[in-house]
Amino acid sequence: MDKMYYNGVELTDDLFNEIPLDEHLSEESGYSNYSYWRSTFRTFFKSKLSIFLVAVIVVLSVFSFLYPVFSNVDPQQVTLDMDKWNMNANSENWFGTDGLGRDIWARTWYGTRNSLLLALVIALIEVGVGSIVGAIWGYVRKIDPFMIELYNIITNIPSTVYLILLSYILEPSFTTIVIALASSGWIVEAKFMRNKVLSLRESEYNIASQCLGTPLKRIVTKNIIPHLVSLIIMEAALTVPYSIGSEVFLGFVGLGLPLDTVTLGNMVNQGRANFMLYPYQMLYPTLVLCIITISFYIVGNKFADASDPKNHV
Amino acid sequence: MDNKILEAKNIVIKFNLRGKILTAVRNSSLDLYKGETLAIVGESGSGKSVFTKSFVGMLDKNGWIDEGELIYDGKDLAKFKTEKEWLSIRGKKIAMVFQDPMTSLNPLKTIGEQIREVITWHRNTPKDEAKKEAIEILKMVGIDDAEKRYKQYPHEFSGGMRQRVVIATAIACRPEILICDEPTTALDVTIQAQILKLIKDLQKELNMTVIYITHDLGVVANVADRVAVMYAGQIVEYGLSNEIFKDPKHPYTKALLLSLPQLGLKGEDLFYIKGTPPNLYREIKGDAFALRNPHALKIDTMYEPPFFKVSETHYAKTWLLHEKANDNLVIEKLEHNGKQKKEDNKKNEKKEVLVSLRNVSVKFKLDGKQFKAVEDVSFDIYKGETFSLVGESGSGKTTIGRAIMKIHPISEGEIYCKDKLISKKLKKDEMKAFRQSVQMIFQDPMASLNERAKVDYIVSEGLYNFKLYKDEEDRKRKVEKAMEEVGLLKDFLTRFPHEFSGGQRQRIGIARALVMEPEFIIADEPISALDVSIRAQIINLLNKLKEEKDLTYLFIAHDLSVVKFISDRIAVIHKGHIVELADSDELFENPLHPYTKSLLSAVPIPDPDLEKNKKILIYDPKIHDYSVDKPKWVEIKKGHFIWANDKEIEDYQKELDRNHYDKETN
Repeated sequence: MDKMYYNGVELTDDLFNEIPLDEHLSEESGYSNYSYWRSTFRTFFKSKLSIFLVAVIVVLSVFSFLYPVFSNVDPQQVTLDMDKWNMNANSENWFGTDGLGRDIWARTWYGTRNSLLLALVIALIEVGVGSIVGAIWGYVRKIDPFMIELYNIITNIPSTVYLILLSYILEPSFTTIVIALASSGWIVEAKFMRNKVLSLRESEYNIASQCLGTPLKRIVTKNIIPHLVSLIIMEAALTVPYSIGSEVFLGFVGLGLPLDTVTLGNMVNQGRANFMLYPYQMLYPTLVLCIITISFYIVGNKFADASDPKNHV
Repeated sequence: MDNKILEAKNIVIKFNLRGKILTAVRNSSLDLYKGETLAIVGESGSGKSVFTKSFVGMLDKNGWIDEGELIYDGKDLAKFKTEKEWLSIRGKKIAMVFQDPMTSLNPLKTIGEQIREVITWHRNTPKDEAKKEAIEILKMVGIDDAEKRYKQYPHEFSGGMRQRVVIATAIACRPEILICDEPTTALDVTIQAQILKLIKDLQKELNMTVIYITHDLGVVANVADRVAVMYAGQIVEYGLSNEIFKDPKHPYTKALLLSLPQLGLKGEDLFYIKGTPPNLYREIKGDAFALRNPHALKIDTMYEPPFFKVSETHYAKTWLLHEKANDNLVIEKLEHNGKQKKEDNKKNEKKEVLVSLRNVSVKFKLDGKQFKAVEDVSFDIYKGETFSLVGESGSGKTTIGRAIMKIHPISEGEIYCKDKLISKKLKKDEMKAFRQSVQMIFQDPMASLNERAKVDYIVSEGLYNFKLYKDEEDRKRKVEKAMEEVGLLKDFLTRFPHEFSGGQRQRIGIARALVMEPEFIIADEPISALDVSIRAQIINLLNKLKEEKDLTYLFIAHDLSVVKFISDRIAVIHKGHIVELADSDELFENPLHPYTKSLLSAVPIPDPDLEKNKKILIYDPKIHDYSVDKPKWVEIKKGHFIWANDKEIEDYQKELDRNHYDKETN
């Protein structure tokens, strides 16, 4: 028989022999290596802005927490030397000094540290309590009417009113502020989580678990919580700027932490008094404040987008 | 027929997905002739939708036409860059109808306005004139009372009516080409047939060329002049409808046709295609189907085959047609793959009732209003049988399944399982026994597996719940055994569900139920979300397991053609009522209730000659006059139950006698 060619390849009889089916290969060919978390982080870090802002947050937090270690400037150190009062920024006092001669640069970082700490604690409490309550709220249908009413009551009172009220009743302290701020935030988080839990609860895989008689404890830990993790991260990131902002607001109206505690709120409030004469006393702390809140806000939103599987392209 | 209207030449479409380049369409060419109906058939992921979407510039943002030409009206559409260029074609010359009518209509605008907008947008027709035209078009797509309907919103329409509206918007500008992307997949069988007829009529009236994209070979047989089969991003075979159905040449086309449940014979395995469709991230070498083809040639794994000519109109891309390949031998082997099974000799003499429903009703609260999803339903399921429950969406069939599963509480009636009342609060150990012996398989394999858990956990979930294993070793052995039984590899256990294809995921779902060693399995539409080539696989698996483990199934389905092959008895359910119940053969031979008849008439048949001449019966519940003469549940013939009133029973009885007589005389 003549030799036959196809695209320069000789077609031998051997090529037309049957080959056995490889079960493994036939199943394996559908394999996809998609991973939710890998895709989420990939999508998140694809945006240069996200990388930059995450870097900003990390640098700022690390710096503010380490600052007391390598600096011996006491943020509370007042001086009687009138020349050192209300100084403009100079080589020794990078952000200048305030009306008592305290170094604003040092105070800004101590303040940032305290404000961040406060915000993180509040975020943890709000989101932590909110997720747990939200999971129960979504799962136990009986308490739904009660919780909805509670939610309506708490969210319909303007937060400023009871923030001020609570601060009056309780002694101003770190705990007071945390309680004041977290007292309304948790239920908003809980409602948010509840809505998500409701849809997870009706999902087919959860019904499958019910059919298998899976106890509630395992349903919550295996079926519900793992699906909420990305939401929890996102909500925590978004709570931070809100808490810092509220702390500043309370400090601003004079109901924040005691005046001798250095926080961004207190600094802004103190800077306000001299704003017309020495604007930088308020502007520098405000600048740092803005950088932190805006970074957290955008990072939270970017993460929310990235954690949505629809955006995993 | 030689009037080419659209010509796609060597199209390559690529997507940038998660940082990787995926080739969705690999070098496909297609000619479309004026006035014809072309069907593109393929499984999900075969690239059929992407291919046709590129004709109207509707690829997703991350996709592009990498190579090739699209010649339409003397222009190369593949060179179009701007939206403006596309708008001169899209909607105006080439229009598209999508699968889900809800997502393609704007819920905030009246449907009339949506059609009118299309007309004014493309042709600058003044508003009043456009409105008149829109009403005309609504009438054309079979919407009665068009003036009134014009002012209504999409949510006021039923699924089938909505799809008519979508078609109306698509044909509003009298396009030359209409692309229908799975136009009936989201619809019930009886509605599906009506929509297909509508598109056919419109095509004739407006002289359109129609492209159907579908995975349903029944639909293809009904509508298509020509058929193109796609697999893994390539057209592998094309030809006239008759040529493809009667004389397929590509092993994939053959396998697809052979694996249709409609063609199955009871007691025999269905022919099925092994494995899963390939992942297009990977480079495909040679013939993409070779990996799943038990009779692949060596050359298939090495070189991509060219198209071989079968007839003037019929071409196939397979090495089997090469003169060196021993064609006949292979065909024979393919056809005898469905291996014969032993005679079905156990004609259950003494029937033991396993599950029994007595006057069960289920009520739901919706927007404060109560409605009955299931009303006064009674039936028995015998041990060892496959009992099918068939009905359209919203008929309450899933609710019944879930009521037995104790997921939905029932409001009236009793459910017994092994003579034990289970529709009450059960004690802990009773519950344990019940949960173990009754299992469920779900419809959507994408939704029914926990995405955040490994397969190992998913399959062992039930074992963990009731501590059904001695030690870790024992659990592993049980899980591995279950995986093996559903034909999955052990290594898959450490993976997450998202790494699997639909069919594989469904098998994981079956393994999860099997590991509990149940007696009774409720299968809630286990194959309707799967691709055709996978369906047969799952049906065979379910049948095999039934034999081996002496299982009893409640099989819930919306498609009669599927259940015919697998069920012993069938119940037809309509709006929460079971209207007819009989042995499978009896129901297909002597359907009595008009609803059953209409369901039967709508079943798609994968044979172009039969399909094109079939008559569809439309069921109208108004024909029953139940105002005085109340209907009841009666056994009209041994084992044949029907929901009817006295007068109807008389008529049905006459019909039965007549059928019987006809058979005797033949």
